[in-house]
Amino acid sequence: MNLVIALLVTRQFVSKEQIRDSVAGYSGDGVDVGSFDRMFERDKKELRELGIMIETGSNEAFFEDEKGYRIRRDEFELADILFTSEEAAVVGLAARVWQHAGLAAESSNAILKLKAAGIAVDPNALTMVEPQLSADEPSFDRMWEAATQQIPVTFAYQRPGQQPEARRVEPWGLFSWHGRWYMAGFDLEREAERVFRLSRVHKEVSFAGTPGSYTIPEGVDLRQIAQALFPAPAIDAATIRVRRGRCQDLRRQSETTKRVDDQWDEITVAYASPWQLASEIASFGPDAVAIAPGDVREQVVAKLRSVLSAEGAA
Amino acid sequence: MTISSNQVSRMLALVPYLRNRGEIPVDDVARDFGVPVKQIVKDLSILWFCGLPNAYPGDMISIDMDALKIDGVVKLSDADFLPKPSRFSPYEALALIVALRTIRASATPDQAHIIDTALAKLEEVCGDVAGAPVDVHVEAADPQIQSTLEAALANKVRVAIRYTTPARDEENEREIDPVRMFTAQGRLFCEAWCYLADDVRIFRLDRILSAEATQTPTAPHDLERRDLSEDLFGVSEDTAWAILDLQPAAYWLAEYYTIESLGEPVDGVWRVKMFATGMEWMRRLVLKNAGAVTVVEPHVLAEDVATHARLALSAYDGNNLKSEE
Repeated sequence: MNLVIALLVTRQFVSKEQIRDSVAGYSGDGVDVGSFDRMFERDKKELRELGIMIETGSNEAFFEDEKGYRIRRDEFELADILFTSEEAAVVGLAARVWQHAGLAAESSNAILKLKAAGIAVDPNALTMVEPQLSADEPSFDRMWEAATQQIPVTFAYQRPGQQPEARRVEPWGLFSWHGRWYMAGFDLEREAERVFRLSRVHKEVSFAGTPGSYTIPEGVDLRQIAQALFPAPAIDAATIRVRRGRCQDLRRQSETTKRVDDQWDEITVAYASPWQLASEIASFGPDAVAIAPGDVREQVVAKLRSVLSAEGAA
Repeated sequence: MTISSNQVSRMLALVPYLRNRGEIPVDDVARDFGVPVKQIVKDLSILWFCGLPNAYPGDMISIDMDALKIDGVVKLSDADFLPKPSRFSPYEALALIVALRTIRASATPDQAHIIDTALAKLEEVCGDVAGAPVDVHVEAADPQIQSTLEAALANKVRVAIRYTTPARDEENEREIDPVRMFTAQGRLFCEAWCYLADDVRIFRLDRILSAEATQTPTAPHDLERRDLSEDLFGVSEDTAWAILDLQPAAYWLAEYYTIESLGEPVDGVWRVKMFATGMEWMRRLVLKNAGAVTVVEPHVLAEDVATHARLALSAYDGNNLKSEE
C-alpha cells in the first residue's frame, strides 16, 4: 500500500535504495537487505496481478544503470466515467450475473472501483430480469484464459458414449447457448473451423504457446458461428390435427389454428426439418395427427412403427 | 505485517471511496464492499499508517478513530494523493463486460439502449479487452409479456396469465404475484406466487401465452431467496426415472437431460438411467426418439409407450396413406 503511494506520488524514478529507506514497512528492525529484496519482488508481483503497472527507467539518460521505479498516474487511475442513473443501475445488476466464484469476484471488484469513483450503483433502482451466467464446465477456467488471450490449446475431447480424442486448437472465442459454453476456434489437425462443447472437454487443458500466439482471422463472427446451434430457418409449413387442449408445444409454434370439431383443431406449423417435426408430432401420440405434407406424414408413421417393432423384439 | 493482495486492492478502492463521501456509517461501507464491518475496521487501522514516503504529520492518511469507535462513522482526510481508484485489471474488465452482455441479451428492446450506452462507456475505459471474444445468448421471449411482468413486479400488482405446462401437456389460466425475474440455462423465467397452486412456482416466459396486469395489489409473501437452479433442474427422491437403452443417434440426450450412465455401450447400445419431471414427459421423449430409444424399466412405461404408438397409428389406417403391407 505504501509502495503504491510512494511510486504514485513521485514524478521521478525512485531507486530501490530510496524505496527501502523511505517506505514504511521496508526498513526497521530485522529487515536485512535479503528480506527487503524478497518483500519488494513479492509486492511488485502482487501489484502487477492487480493490473497496476510499475514503470522502470532512469532519470538521467547517461546513467542507465541507475534503475528506478514509478507508477504513472495516468496509467494507474481509472478514467472518469459519467453514467446516467439508469446506466449505473444496470451496471450494478452486473455484480449478480456470474455464478462462477472467480468471475463473480472479478466483476464485484470492478463495480467496487466504480463505487469508489463516486458512482451511485444501485441495482434496485431498475426492475428488470436478473440474468445469471454459470460456468460449471471443469475446463472453463483454462479455456477462458486461452480464448481471451489467444493461447493455443491441446485437450481431450469426448462425446457421450465415445472414447476421448486429442485435439489441438487455436481458440477464437467462447459463447454461451442455453446455459452451456462452447468454444469456437481453428482446429490445427483438421485445418478447419470447429465448435467444441466445453462439457465434452476434459479438465486438463494444456497451453501450447504463449498469449498472443496467433491472431483471430478478420471477419470471424462468433454470433454467426453460434448460429449453427440454432434451428435452421423454416422451409415449408405442415398441417397437423391436434386434440383440443393438448399438444401445447406444437400449438406454441403454430401460425394458424382452425377449429375442426369438438375434439380437434387443425394447425399449421412452419418447419425446417421434416424429420424433426415428425419426431415432435410422434411424441404426442394419438393427440397429434400429421395431415400434410406426405413426407412428414410418412415419417411419423415410420417412427411410430419403429416403437412397436422395437417392443416386439424386446 | 503481511497484507493480502485482496486487501491491497480493497484499500486502494476504499481511500477514494471515502474521500468521495465525507462521513459515512461504517455499516454502509461494509455493505458496499461486501465484507464484515470488522474487516473494514482492520483495513482502516492499516490505512492509518499509510502515507507519503518519509512522512511528516499531514502526509499520512488520517482517520478519526474516535468517530469510528463511538459513532460507527468513518471520517477520512489527508489522502489527496489517492483521489481515484485504480484501473480495472484485464480480468475485472472482462468479467464486467461479459456480465453486461448477458444483461443485454436478456433485456427487452426498450431497455437495450441503456445497456448499450453503459457498455460503450465502460469499453472506452477498458482498453484492449473491450472486444473480448465472448458472447452470451439468451432465448428471447415475447417482449410484451416480459414488459408486462416487469411492470407488474415494479408496481406490485397481480398478473393473470395463460400458461402451458409441458410435464402434463396442459394449458391453464392462473393469477400470479411476480417475485422476481431471472435467466437460467439461457432462458427467461419468472418466479411468482401462484394462486392456482397456492405456492411459489417458476414460470418459463416462452411458455406464457398471454399476461395481463390486474388492479389487485400483490399480497406479502414471505419467501426465501433460494437457489432456483436446484429447484429447476435438481434430482430428488421424488424425481421420476426410467432405464433406457440408447442407440448412438440418441447419445446426445445425455448432454441435455439428467442421465446416469449404467456402463459402457455394448454393440452401440448404451444403457442409462434417466430422470425427468414425470412419466408422461418420459413417454413423449421415448416416442419423439422412437427407434433410437427403448424402455427397459419400468414396464408400465414400456406398455404406455406402445399403447400410445398403437393408438396414434390407428389414425393413419386407410385414409390417404399408402399401406406398406
